[in-house]
Amino acid sequence: MTSSAALEIPEYLRVRPIEVSPATVIGWTRPEPIGELDRSCLEALRPGDYEIYDEKLANYLDEAREIFIRSGVSGMLRSGDLIVAVYTANGDLASASAGTYLHCVTAMLPIKFVLHAYLGEPTVLVREGDIFYANEARYGGIHNPDQMAFMPVFHDGELIAWTAALAHQPETGAVEPGGMPLSARTRDDEGMKLTPIKIGENYRIRRDLLDMVVNFIGRAPRMQAIDTRARVTGADRLRRRVQQIAAERGNGFVRGLLRELVVRAEQAARRRVAQWNDGVYRTAVFCDTIGRETGLLRASLAAIKKGDTITFDFTGTSPENDSSYNCFPHVVAAHAATFLYAYAFHDLPVSNGLLAVFDWVIPQGTIFNASPNAAISNAPLVNCLTLAAIPKVMAQMLYDSPSRELIGACNGNTTGPVVFSGRNQYGIPVAEVDAAPMNTEGQGARSDLDGVDAYGFPWAHAGRAPDVEETETEYQVLRLYFRLRGDNAGFGMRRGGAGSETALAVRHVDAMPWNQRSRNAKITCALGLFGGYPSSSCFGIHVRGTNLWEKMARGDPDVPANTVELATRRAIAGEYRFEHPSRPRRIGMNGDLIVHLSGGGGGYGDALLRDPGDVVRDLKCGAISDWTARNVYRVELDPATHEVDAVATERLRAQARRERLRRGRPWKEFIAEWSKLRPSDEALGHFGSWPEGTPDPGKVRSWL
Amino acid sequence: MKRRITENLDIDTGSLTWHCHRCGGALGPASANYKQGCLIDARDPREVWRPLIEEEYNFSYDPEWMRLVEYYCPGCGTLIELDVLPPGHPIPHDIELDLAQLAKKPAAEEE
Ligand SMILES: [Zn+2]
Repeated sequence: MTSSAALEIPEYLRVRPIEVSPATVIGWTRPEPIGELDRSCLEALRPGDYEIYDEKLANYLDEAREIFIRSGVSGMLRSGDLIVAVYTANGDLASASAGTYLHCVTAMLPIKFVLHAYLGEPTVLVREGDIFYANEARYGGIHNPDQMAFMPVFHDGELIAWTAALAHQPETGAVEPGGMPLSARTRDDEGMKLTPIKIGENYRIRRDLLDMVVNFIGRAPRMQAIDTRARVTGADRLRRRVQQIAAERGNGFVRGLLRELVVRAEQAARRRVAQWNDGVYRTAVFCDTIGRETGLLRASLAAIKKGDTITFDFTGTSPENDSSYNCFPHVVAAHAATFLYAYAFHDLPVSNGLLAVFDWVIPQGTIFNASPNAAISNAPLVNCLTLAAIPKVMAQMLYDSPSRELIGACNGNTTGPVVFSGRNQYGIPVAEVDAAPMNTEGQGARSDLDGVDAYGFPWAHAGRAPDVEETETEYQVLRLYFRLRGDNAGFGMRRGGAGSETALAVRHVDAMPWNQRSRNAKITCALGLFGGYPSSSCFGIHVRGTNLWEKMARGDPDVPANTVELATRRAIAGEYRFEHPSRPRRIGMNGDLIVHLSGGGGGYGDALLRDPGDVVRDLKCGAISDWTARNVYRVELDPATHEVDAVATERLRAQARRERLRRGRPWKEFIAEWSKLRPSDEALGHFGSWPEGTPDPGKVRSWL
Repeated sequence: MKRRITENLDIDTGSLTWHCHRCGGALGPASANYKQGCLIDARDPREVWRPLIEEEYNFSYDPEWMRLVEYYCPGCGTLIELDVLPPGHPIPHDIELDLAQLAKKPAAEEE
């Protein structure tokens, strides 16, 4: 695929020439070189222009986001898992209102593709009033549930900017409902994948093309029709506002303003990076789930920092596999962006100027640079590894710098939600994600603060948990409990925020189909920092044939209020199944209990250095158990009054340090024993050779 | 002169050696992995998260899949760092600084 370049493209609309492929579009994450026109527009900005109009633009972006949310209907869109953004005429991200920073990377690339391939293509062209639409990861998206509308902004006949609106759609017409099929083996199992196409002209959506899109989404056509219009509505409102600025101040002003946002972010990012110590920072992180199976996957990351640039080198990452747990390189950059935009560079304009400082080395044939035909619909799940690796290396890089307060341990990083369907109590067919635990994971601890309990959804910071009463009113479930998890937040000098736990009981109906797609049960990637522990295991419980309704009708006082009580006291009769949280579709019968755990944030620093007063506070609020206070934090206290015995605590902690010195082995002695170990065969099914991770030539992928 | 490199580690930019931030004890040359100067224990995760039930999934992690590899200061027993690794996995050399650049840097404002 190359540009036909049939028409002469002016300099200010050119993008870097790229041989377009899923492995190469990451090259468009960098800002385009500044052309003569943009340079003269930058120079024409007057003092105060940037400050005033940056703010004005931010208001317009928030307005467009609000209109987008109110126009849409699906859950992820309504909860804010989206972006509305404005771009320079040649496709650089200038500013955004983001509920997730993932799409700072991914919503930009299809725009650059259109500029590259269609601007000069006489059969397509880019004209005033055009509306483009895309959801294909090969052209810059994450996975096909993420659909975007984008529009060129013309004023006085000149193309001066682009706008876009993107949100996750829960249905894609794939081989399974829900848009992220666990059984997908190739791209052909994953449903609708639209290359960037023109879905509208003259500011109107074309009915024939909308019908085509809706026709792909047979399980939820109405939802698709409404949300497609919502995306266009969001992009179009912003288009009008940019035209309004052009009418007030001129086209050159808009060009200058948008370019300035990119330039300022790049300059500030380079200044900040230059303050950090040059060197190589490495980590290896693991997850325990590949599609429907358990198995080890590894991300190896070396961050090479030199001067004002950083190279993220993922050599050593696991080979691509025959499931949908794969992705393309720009998707790794998108997941890195969730940390970079939210933490290390949170105060910069949300533009791709920041991305100028990063280079990416992501070897082909790995889970992060899969073959073009690989299934990739669970790309966000396999990138739990990126969400773990980036904060770890960045903490090592930033600690000895003025940016120390910007580091943070990994957020919960666990939840794949329970998804349920069937008919609700009113007989209406429903399909819903239980977004409660997923939007209440714990935040990682900071150098100076504990993590926030139930802070949100690590992939999309704006996500909000649904109201319990509303869920029970609308769906065929009772929420037995929904609360913070005890002993879940990563232990440490600063503790992580606690994740949540919930138990759903199937109610009002005889049966309810459900499934779950999660991880971090056998090994975790919700890591701590500098001696802080990761958060605790996330597994699943299914209790069949319960007597829950009888107990509630009798008003029994021993109905469990949390998962530990449920699992250890077994006051509810029934058949208990403790299982991996990646659970294929099954039927829950009336009264069955489905327990879903979300993850806490990683801890920070040696737990023996936590202030005993803070440990008591944790104990009082249920964040930790007596056992943890005594055995992990080594605090001696009165069980009744929670009064700390400071002298005994210091004695316990000194004893713990002596125990470490007795148990610990010098390097050579340790390595001699350690290197003889290997994980169970079950764990290594998709790992490749141990420990190198070289692909097993005997495993043939089904798309070959 | 010492620079604080992480929560628990310093580097002496004169002698180019790692040191424990808590007790100042030396942990070997700064060009090498500081973990080589630590005492190391690969812990069963069930020592930190106690199994509450006798099931395959029991509120802890699976020691066949995961160990907590802890690095202690041999002087004071501070937990300097920990890695979450499958049993036998090579130990990451996590911080390898450009020591020539580090030595040229002005002193940090604190510590
Ligand atoms: Zn020490």
